[in-house]
Amino acid sequence: MARPRWQPSDRLHARAMVTPAIVVLAVVALYPILAAVWLSLQRAILIFRERRFIGADNYNALIHDDRFWAAAGHTLYFTVVAVALELTLGLAFAYILHRAIRARGLLTAMVLVPWAIPTVVAAKTWQWLYDADVGLVARALPLQDVDLLGMPGWAMHAAIVVDVWKSTPFVALLLYAGLSTIPEDLYRAAAIDGARGFTTFTKITLPNLRSTLVVTALLRSLDAFRVFDAVYVLTEGGPANTTETLSIYAYKTLMRSGDFGYGSTLAVATFIALALLAAVMLTAFGRQALR
Amino acid sequence: MVVFCLGPFLSLAFASLRPGGAPFGAPGEYSFDQYTAVFETRPFARVLLRSFVVASLTTVAAVALAASAAFVLAKMELRGRRALLALSLGVSMFPPIAIASPLFLVIRALGWRDTVQGLVVPYTTFALPLALWILTSFFREIPDDLYRAARIDGCSPFGAFRRVVLPVAAPGIATSAILVFIFAWNELLFALTFTSAPEARTVPAAIALFAAEHREPWGEIAAASTVATLPLVAITLLFQRRIVRGLTAGAIKG
Amino acid sequence: MRRRGLFAFFASLAAPSLGCGRGGPSRSDSDRTIVFKHQPLWGDPEPFRAMLSRFEAKTGYAVVTEALPSSSDAAHQYFLTSLEGGDASFDVLVADVVWVPEFARAGWIRDLSEVFPSATIRGDFVEGAANGVIVDDRTFAVPWYADVGLLYRRTDLVPDAPRTYDDLAREALAVKERGAVEYGYVWQGRQYEGLVCNVFEVIWGHGGAAFENGRLQLDVPEARDALRTMRSFIERGVSPRSVTAMAEEESRRPFQAGRAAFMRNWPYALVEAARDDSPIRGKVAVSSLPTRDGTPGHGTLGGYQLAVNAAVTPARFDGAVALVEHLTSLESNISMAVLYGRNPPRRAAYASDELRSRAPHVAAVEEAITGARPRPVTPYYALLADTLQSELSAAVSGIRTPEEALQRAQRASDRIMGMGAR
Repeated sequence: MARPRWQPSDRLHARAMVTPAIVVLAVVALYPILAAVWLSLQRAILIFRERRFIGADNYNALIHDDRFWAAAGHTLYFTVVAVALELTLGLAFAYILHRAIRARGLLTAMVLVPWAIPTVVAAKTWQWLYDADVGLVARALPLQDVDLLGMPGWAMHAAIVVDVWKSTPFVALLLYAGLSTIPEDLYRAAAIDGARGFTTFTKITLPNLRSTLVVTALLRSLDAFRVFDAVYVLTEGGPANTTETLSIYAYKTLMRSGDFGYGSTLAVATFIALALLAAVMLTAFGRQALR
Repeated sequence: MVVFCLGPFLSLAFASLRPGGAPFGAPGEYSFDQYTAVFETRPFARVLLRSFVVASLTTVAAVALAASAAFVLAKMELRGRRALLALSLGVSMFPPIAIASPLFLVIRALGWRDTVQGLVVPYTTFALPLALWILTSFFREIPDDLYRAARIDGCSPFGAFRRVVLPVAAPGIATSAILVFIFAWNELLFALTFTSAPEARTVPAAIALFAAEHREPWGEIAAASTVATLPLVAITLLFQRRIVRGLTAGAIKG
Repeated sequence: MRRRGLFAFFASLAAPSLGCGRGGPSRSDSDRTIVFKHQPLWGDPEPFRAMLSRFEAKTGYAVVTEALPSSSDAAHQYFLTSLEGGDASFDVLVADVVWVPEFARAGWIRDLSEVFPSATIRGDFVEGAANGVIVDDRTFAVPWYADVGLLYRRTDLVPDAPRTYDDLAREALAVKERGAVEYGYVWQGRQYEGLVCNVFEVIWGHGGAAFENGRLQLDVPEARDALRTMRSFIERGVSPRSVTAMAEEESRRPFQAGRAAFMRNWPYALVEAARDDSPIRGKVAVSSLPTRDGTPGHGTLGGYQLAVNAAVTPARFDGAVALVEHLTSLESNISMAVLYGRNPPRRAAYASDELRSRAPHVAAVEEAITGARPRPVTPYYALLADTLQSELSAAVSGIRTPEEALQRAQRASDRIMGMGAR
């Protein structure tokens, strides 16, 4: 790409234009993560002004902390199930959008509604739908004496439904954009060769959609793994901590109990787990899929 | 698909007009009583204003910072480019909880708890990567010739950016502004952590903590949720194309 | 940096216009104005305002009230952050029973022993309430109103109150099998503070101490029996499975609708049951909770105390103390009972004719209030609560055996209270 010729003052200008962004990112994001690591090596009980360096003791406790491993398991389960459902349902929606020529604008607008709704409102909406007394969903289900958000086993899946509802639109839009880039000629040629619906799907649609699917899955997984809002509003991690995710455990330890040392250890562990997840996904799906 | 997308929220919006948040089908009069209750018995008007101020300032700050940096990334050569890209990609992956504890201590030390800037600064940081991403992809599409012509006419790089590129990129700026505004309006974790006074909360934090002493006030929750959501739905429907473009630009072109 | 400075500037413009600056408006500067931070009382705010006006007329101080988040957990989080930061924008605050030792230890609330000697507090207030505000024989708060766990029953279905858990289970099942109700016995089994209150009541009912010699007594036979009893209620159908999802209202609604025979709840449900449109009006009575051996059980003490912010200036201290004195007086105790149905923590209030005639449902729970017990009085309660809630929830919902859940809770609480390395 031909760029304008360089002048000595250009570099100064360029630097001046990127510096504010770099400074903000460094001061408000990079510095705190380092500070969090430092805090995680201390015993820091805010309310009693206790603060002393204890080395790796918090990490030692973390390894033996059943609740941490349970929370990690819940977070992973939530991520895998939610993202799988979102991709499936999102692909179906993307197909509908792709096929609908006339009402496409209207349909896209409708699909966007759950995406635009604040997560807190989405969670409250579903909490209300699940409510044993007034909830429409709770009444519609043929279940006796079941509280969807209050019983172990049910609650996690009820929370996954909320995430699927909220995030499928985003997935559908990305996949729809991906579908639009597949040349119609490919389908026409396949039709001449006598390929049927399902064959065209596996032989043409999926391979051509591969990179979009991978990017979407990656983005959604990283997002779902950080889940806080929806679960916090729906259950606060209950019943019996069966919906407690890493973010919620860390938040409760920090802000409810005021234990900033161990809370920071949990937060750093969450960060490391997320980085690991990203690394695993990138290796598994290959970098070239991401170009 | 339509029922799946619209059903849940529409039924809640209906319930906001019914006593106690009863679903349709149940007996009861329709009225705006719940709305009156929300605004009269709670500082909800202030909460709305607060959210609006926080989201607007975040939008201005994030878009301004991102636009100038994105321009450099898209149109100029600079040694630190890769570092900035890596940094912003890294930050976009941060779990917010990971930095909540040190940020809390800093904000407390500055006396910024319960203030507007105590939310705007972290929000700007977390919105920056998104805005940077979208704007870079928009700027890349602006023909180099346009920029070059401006430079030949004697504009400095910043002058060319301000007078020529920015006006052309207005749709991109609008797109990123909408997305940042929606992000800041919806954020919960920092809002819960950095505010504690009822009148200093943002809308999501207020609704999340909407409990009464023993009961869940569904009617009022429904009313407040509807008020908090309608502006966003309106924005979304109005700027539907832009949003779709912004969302897919952020992902597909990566 | 220039840009950050710019929006910090805009932000600072916006802040005062919203009235949200830290110290609040200049009214705090006046030594004659007392700021009272409390949770909104359920009901009409006017009578309470009138109580404050009487104080203003009597003393010449002005009182400004500021609202706290209504959920107890959120209110605690508010104090955790504001008092810790030395916030002096309010003088008098309300504290949940379990917060007083924590706030005292943290140095956030004033020692009030000079004005309210611990001996006087013990003499005037019911035992549980007094124990909750006295730390190392120093008074740090004064009880404002009290709550206690009660056993509700439908008198048309069960004329006599069951004394033991076995009686309760038998009668609940009998009524349920007759088809008269859907649920036998409802209580609060959701993962939240109410569950901890419910479990302590049953532990006490099985002869357990729960808290002794500065240590939480969880991994003990009485506690194991208690959790087994609770779990067996669900397994035998005495209580519905969904009881593990119920907080106060989720249990009160079916009871109020006539769908349950027994309920454990706080006194407020009595006020609700007596409303004109209540289907169970006149068919409800309360009694002390059952126990294993049939002696009257102890309910968990709830309710709020008034304390003085440690950051308050000496000039305003007198006014703050005067307000606490006024709001916790015998007269105010009776007013709170008559106007808001709140139980007085003062023993003498129950002898008042006005209370007996105008708030009979409040007078009816005197015995339970007198016998109410506080949850463990320890500065570490907030740190313990989270662990307790999750382990007890796991036990009642059958995810872990009572033995296992109690062992885990014991280990976690010993670690927190023993203050060893985490």
